[in-house]
Amino acid sequence: MRGRRKRMLEGLDQDIREHIERETQDNIERGMTPEEAAYAARRKFGNVTQVKEDTRNVWSVVWLEQMVEDMYFGLRMLRKNPGFAAVAVLTLALGIGANAAIFSVMNAVLLKPLAIEDPSRLLYVQEQWRDLFPAVSVGNFNDLAQQSISFAKLCASNSASFNLATDEAPQRVQGELASGNYFATFGVQPLVGRGFTTDEDKPGHGQVVVISERLWRTQLHGDLAIVGQPLLLNGARYTVVGIMPKTFDPLLNDSDIWIPEAFTAKQLADYDNHYLNVMGRLKDNVSAAQAQAEMDTIAARLQQQHPIDNKDRGFRSTSLTAALLGDQRLVLRMMLGAVGLLLLIACANVANLQLARARSRQREIALRAAVGASPQRIVRQLLAENVVLGVFGGVGGILLAFWGVSWVVVHGPADVPRLQQTAIDAKTLAFACGVTLFSSVLFGLAPALRSASIRLSEAFKAGTGSGSGSRDRLRSGLVIAEVALALMLMAGAGLLIRSALLVSRVDPGFDTPNLVVGRVGLSETGYHDPVMARQTFERMVREAAALPGVQSAAVVSRAPLAGGGSSNGLLAEGKPFDMANLIDSQLQVVSPGYVSTVRIPLKAGRDFTLQDTRDRTLVTLVNETLARSMWPGQDPIGKRFACCEPGPKGRMDPVWHEVVGVVADVRAWGLDRQIAPEFYLPVAQMPASAWDWIGRTMDLVIRTEGGAIPVRELQTVVASVAPGTPIYHVSSMQNTISSSLERSRFDTMLLTIFAVTALLLSSIGIYGVLSYTVAQRTRDIGIRMTLGATRTQVMRNVLSYGARLTGLGLLAGLGAALVGTRVVASLLYSVRPTDAITFTAVSAVLAGVALLASYIPARRAMRVDPMVALRHE
Amino acid sequence: MSTKEQRERIELLQGTLDLLILRTLRWGPAHGHAIAKTIEFRSEDVLQVEQGSLYPALHRLIKRKWIAVEEGISENNRRAKFYRLTSKGRRQLEVETSKWDKLAGAIARILRPREEGER
Repeated sequence: MRGRRKRMLEGLDQDIREHIERETQDNIERGMTPEEAAYAARRKFGNVTQVKEDTRNVWSVVWLEQMVEDMYFGLRMLRKNPGFAAVAVLTLALGIGANAAIFSVMNAVLLKPLAIEDPSRLLYVQEQWRDLFPAVSVGNFNDLAQQSISFAKLCASNSASFNLATDEAPQRVQGELASGNYFATFGVQPLVGRGFTTDEDKPGHGQVVVISERLWRTQLHGDLAIVGQPLLLNGARYTVVGIMPKTFDPLLNDSDIWIPEAFTAKQLADYDNHYLNVMGRLKDNVSAAQAQAEMDTIAARLQQQHPIDNKDRGFRSTSLTAALLGDQRLVLRMMLGAVGLLLLIACANVANLQLARARSRQREIALRAAVGASPQRIVRQLLAENVVLGVFGGVGGILLAFWGVSWVVVHGPADVPRLQQTAIDAKTLAFACGVTLFSSVLFGLAPALRSASIRLSEAFKAGTGSGSGSRDRLRSGLVIAEVALALMLMAGAGLLIRSALLVSRVDPGFDTPNLVVGRVGLSETGYHDPVMARQTFERMVREAAALPGVQSAAVVSRAPLAGGGSSNGLLAEGKPFDMANLIDSQLQVVSPGYVSTVRIPLKAGRDFTLQDTRDRTLVTLVNETLARSMWPGQDPIGKRFACCEPGPKGRMDPVWHEVVGVVADVRAWGLDRQIAPEFYLPVAQMPASAWDWIGRTMDLVIRTEGGAIPVRELQTVVASVAPGTPIYHVSSMQNTISSSLERSRFDTMLLTIFAVTALLLSSIGIYGVLSYTVAQRTRDIGIRMTLGATRTQVMRNVLSYGARLTGLGLLAGLGAALVGTRVVASLLYSVRPTDAITFTAVSAVLAGVALLASYIPARRAMRVDPMVALRHE
Repeated sequence: MSTKEQRERIELLQGTLDLLILRTLRWGPAHGHAIAKTIEFRSEDVLQVEQGSLYPALHRLIKRKWIAVEEGISENNRRAKFYRLTSKGRRQLEVETSKWDKLAGAIARILRPREEGER
C-alpha cells in the first residue's frame, strides 16, 4: 500500500503543473495575454496546496500521518521558543510528577490487593459496644465459630511479642498467637513445612511455631534444616513446623512468629477480656450482609446467655481490606485531591501561556489558513503542539515521580503499611500517560480553538492595539481559577500547619528532656509467679537507678505517648453496680518513684511509697480528668472506687482502692490525642491477673543527667537481673514524641509543598497575564501619558487589574475552601476546618504574593516612554 | 469566500464528479486536463468545477480500482498520465448511472409534481 501510494503521488506536482500550463495555453489561444492566461488558469484550478493535500489524503491514514507531521512541526515551534517551552514543560512536569508519585503511593498502599487468597471474601469481625469497637473475647469468638454457618473458615489471633534466644544477644520478635485454621483462612501455603494441625491448637500440644521467611533469613541463617528444630521463645522450646513466605503479612503488623492459640477451658469460658482479632472467609454463596445478619442473631443469643459481660454487645464486620487500610484512605485521597488541584493550576498556567503566544502567532496562523489549511487542521496542529509539550512534561513528570517516590519511601512515616513497596510500575506509568494526555487536551483546547477562529482580515491588520474584550476575559478567568485553586490548597495546608503548631505546643504533662524509655518483657515460663515478676522489675529499677549519670528510675506498664494502658470500668463507692455507672479508665501499673522520675506534677495528696504493699490499704493515684468525671466538684482524696479484680466473695464483691493523690493529665496516646481518665496502681498492690493483662511487659524509664542514651548499660542491667531478656525500643522521650508526630508532620509537609507550588504557579499566572497586557497596551499607555496621566496613575491602573483578578480568585477560592477543607477535618487537632485565622492568613499571603507578581509588570507600565511607545507604530 | 464554504461545495459535488469522470472515460483514455475540458464542454460550461478538485477524485477512483493510470504521449507529443476505465469501473458506471437517474427522477418529481401528474 505504501509503495503504491508513493508511486501514485510521485508525479502529482508535475501533473498539476502541466495541467495549469495546458489551461494557460488554451487561454492564450482564446486571445488572452500570457499574464492573464496564467492567472485565469491558476484561478480556475483552485487552491494548489489544498488539492495536493486532498490528493495525498486519499492515500493515507490521514489523521495518523498528519499527527506525526504536526508533532514534528510542534517540536520545531518549541525549539524556536525555548523560554516558553521550558516554563511550560516544567510546569506540566510538576503537575504530572506530583500526580504520578501520589498515585503510585496510593497504588502500593491501597489499591494493590493484599497478598492473600481472594481478599474480597474476607471479613474482619469486631465487637460493638456503645460507639466502641473492641476486639473479640475468646468466649464470644468460640461461640461465633461454633454457631455461625456463614463462614467457610473463621480464625482468630492476637499479637504477642517474644524473647527469641539466638546465637548472639536475645532478640525481641513480634508475633501472633493464632488459631489452628489461621493460615487456611487466608489461603496462603507455607514456603516450607506446614501450618498448625487441629491437635496442635489444643492446650498442652501447642509447642510448635511457624516463622516468617524474613526471620528465617535474617536471624536463622536461612537454613532449611531449621524445620523440625526447636526455637527458644520466652524461655520455652517450640518446634519449627513451617516457614511462611515473606509476602504473608495478612494483618500488616510485621509478624515474624505464629504460635497456636490452644485456648484452655478457662480461656474459652472468658467473655470479659476482649483481645482477639477475628477474620472470617465467607462461604461462596453468602453475602457480607447475610453474614452480618447471622452474627446479629448470634450476638442477641450471647447477650441473653452472658447478661453481664455481653450487655449491649454486638458484632460488627467490615471487609478486611477496609479494616486494615481504611485509615490510609482518607489521607491518600486528600493528597490525590491536592495534586489534582495542582495539575489543574498547572494546566491553567500553560493554557494561559499558550493564549499569550497564540496572540503573537496570529499572523502565522492566519497565513496558514490563507494558503489553505482548514480550521480543523489548524486546531489539530495546535493540539499536536500541545501533545508534544505534554509528552515532554509527562517524561519530566515521570522522572520527578521516580525521585519523589524514592524520597517518600525513605522519609515517609513508618506506620503506613506497605509504603515501602511503593514503586513506579506499569500501572503508575499508565496513569501518568493518562494524566499527560488529559492535561494536554485540557490546556490546549481553548487556545487552539481560539486561534483557529481568528478572522483573517483582523489578523493581518497590524494590530498592536488593545485586545478584544473576550480574549482577555478567558485569560483573566483562567487566572482567577488558578488563584481560587491555589487558595484551596493553601487553606488545607494552612490548617494542617496550624494544627501542627498547636500540637507542638501541647504540654505532654511531664518533663521530657533527659528521659529515656526502654521496654522489657519477662517470659511467662520463667516469671509466671507474680511475686517473682514484681521483684525482678523492682531489682531492675534499683540497679538502673544506680547507673552513673542516672538520677532516678522507675517502671510503668506503658510510658506516656506510647499507647495508653489497659481499659477498666471503675465504680465509684456509693453508686449501685450497673454498667452505666462504670467509668471507662486506663490503668497504669507503676513502681513508686514513677511520678517523680517522669515529673508528672502532683496536684493533691501524696505519691506512692515503698510502704504501699498488698497487705496495706489498697491505694491509687488518679489523673485530673478521672477525678473530675468521677467526683465532679469534690475533693477526691480519701474517696474510693472498685476495680480490676473480683473480691474473695466473687465477681460482685468489690475490691476498693483509695485515692491518695491526684496527678496532672498526661498525654498517654500521643500529643494530638484526647486525654482519657487514667489511674495508677502501685506494682506491689496490683492484682495478680494484671501481670497477664500487661503481658509481664513494662517500660523502664530513667531520668539521666543528659548525654548519650546509655543503651549498653541498660542492656547489661536487664540481662543481669533477668538473664535472656532483652530491652528493646530504647529511645529518649523526645525521640518518641517526634516519631509520634512523624505521620502528621509528613502529611503537613507534603501538603505544604503542594500549596507553595500552587502559590508559585498561580503568581506566575498573574504575572504572565499582566505582563502581557502591559506589553499589548504599550501604545495605549503612551497615549494616556501624553494626554496627562501620571506614572502613578498608570501603575495604579495595572495594579488594580491584578488586584481585581486576585480578589475574585480569593472570593471563589474561599467559598470552595470553606466546603473543601472538611476533608482534612479528621487530621486536625483543635482547629476547625473553617478556622478564620488560617483562612485570613493564607488569603493575606496569597494576596501579598499576587500583588508582588503584579508589581513587576506595573512598574514596567510606569516606565513606558510615551514618545517611544507612539513611535513604535 | 472562506475556506469552509469552498470545502463544503467540493464535498457536495464529490460523488457527482466521480460519476462524470467515469462517464468521460467511456470514450477512451484521457489525461487530466482533457477530462476537465470534456466535462466543461459537455455540460456547456454549466458545471464550473474547480479543475484542481479533479485530482483527489482521480486518485480516489484509482484507489477503488475503477480507473487505471498509464504513461502515454499526449496530442502535443508530451509525456502525460492517461486515465482509463477498468472493467470494474465500467460496471460501477452502470450502477452509478442508474442510481443517478433514480435520484434525478425523484428530485424532479418533487420539484415538478404537476407535470408528473399531467404525463
